[in-house]
Amino acid sequence: MNEKPITILYIDDEEHNLHSFKASFRKQYDITITSSVIEAEEILENRDFCIILADQRMPIMTGVQFFEKIRTKFPKPIRILITGHTDIGAAIDAINKGEVFRFIDKPWDYQYVDTAIASAYDIYKTREDLKQRNSELQKANEELDKFVYSASHDLRAPLMSVLGIVNLALLEEDVKSQNEYLELIRQSVKKLDTFIINIIDYYKNARGVPVVTDISFEELVTEVQATIQYLPEYGNLKMTTDIEQTGIFQSDVMKLRIIFNNLINNAIKFQDKSKPDPYVHLTVRSTPTHATIIVADNGSGIRESDQDKIFKMFYRAGATNSGSGIGLYIVHEAISKLGGSISVSSQIGQGSVFEINIPSIKK
Amino acid sequence: MKSLLNFFLIDDSAFDLFIYEKLLIKSGITDSVKTFNSAREALKFLLHEGSTIPDTIILLDLQMPDMNGFEFIDEFENLPDHLRSKIRIFMLSSTIDTRDIEKVKASPYIIDLLPKPLEVTFLRKKLAI
Repeated sequence: MNEKPITILYIDDEEHNLHSFKASFRKQYDITITSSVIEAEEILENRDFCIILADQRMPIMTGVQFFEKIRTKFPKPIRILITGHTDIGAAIDAINKGEVFRFIDKPWDYQYVDTAIASAYDIYKTREDLKQRNSELQKANEELDKFVYSASHDLRAPLMSVLGIVNLALLEEDVKSQNEYLELIRQSVKKLDTFIINIIDYYKNARGVPVVTDISFEELVTEVQATIQYLPEYGNLKMTTDIEQTGIFQSDVMKLRIIFNNLINNAIKFQDKSKPDPYVHLTVRSTPTHATIIVADNGSGIRESDQDKIFKMFYRAGATNSGSGIGLYIVHEAISKLGGSISVSSQIGQGSVFEINIPSIKK
Repeated sequence: MKSLLNFFLIDDSAFDLFIYEKLLIKSGITDSVKTFNSAREALKFLLHEGSTIPDTIILLDLQMPDMNGFEFIDEFENLPDHLRSKIRIFMLSSTIDTRDIEKVKASPYIIDLLPKPLEVTFLRKKLAI
């Protein structure tokens, strides 16, 4: 059965019909009953229903008139008409005006009603799913638009810088200064390469199939450290680690690598070179169910007004040219895919602390 | 001898500031380039010291964090007339997005879009010098 029970609203002026219906179906469905069409409308204002059943012959208005009245305001529920004697005129009205999905003959038969409700719910569910998919698709398209716009900029900008440098170098007669230009070209190419690696990480994270394995945080951190300590911007930053792991923690190692890599890289990139002892301190506490990762640095810090925005795609805080605004977005995506959370506390000029909490994934 | 032009470069990329400052001076079009690595900083300068500057050409990058090129133009619009009349703005960007290009064309404050990398001969033509 479904996680959520099927909600049904049944309107009939004959009380005993309502009660016998409720008695027969209350176990499998979530049923609301009323004998008044006025009250039925009020109920609809306050609650969503999957299916509405209405008796045709009622005072004030017929079932068909009721459906016709509520159809545009409450289009989602599937409408079923219960009728004693069907004449062809009423049937035509029911279909054309009330857009009724099914007729149920009185006296109704349990099996028949159950089947009608099941197929009505099928349609309801299909429509809702479609709506859900549509809005997801729309969101994905908007993101893609934004992505293409920003990515094309971030891909072209370093290339245009290289072209600019080449143009400049061609004007230069002094051969010695060519080396300076080559160095600039190298940096620009490196930046472009970093961006491309980020994009691939993003893609792997968003579309890739997660591979859950036993995680050794010690190993993972050592591995990440090995790749970064030779970066030219590493400077004399001091990286210290404090890892305590008890039992087996399971997760997607690729996502964890992306998280560690980006956070530690950021600590390197945004270190405060004016301080005598720039550091980044990594703490990991892991149990078989849960891991907490804390990355603390005494770097340049993040303005308070930027702190809720830094996890957004292509958001770049500050006016430095170091980031493309995708790293922390990928970190955030990876953490939410792992079912975890990330928070930041930071003070400008003082440093930043990122805290991540993730559950172990049971295979 | 004709007097040289005065330039402001506004770009978040330290790279591009370096390249284009050098290129402008090397080309002989100017000997005075002031660089800003954020639009906000440039705006602040104009607000406080704008009255002291000579006629100036601004080469403005588009995609920048905090305040982008178009947001700078929105603020520029509010500056006093006597200040605005001394300034001519070109957008200098690697954008190839048609919406950006349209927006540049539609803006009364931007003379034209100069694609990156900057070609000084192209700029000279636009300035008709």
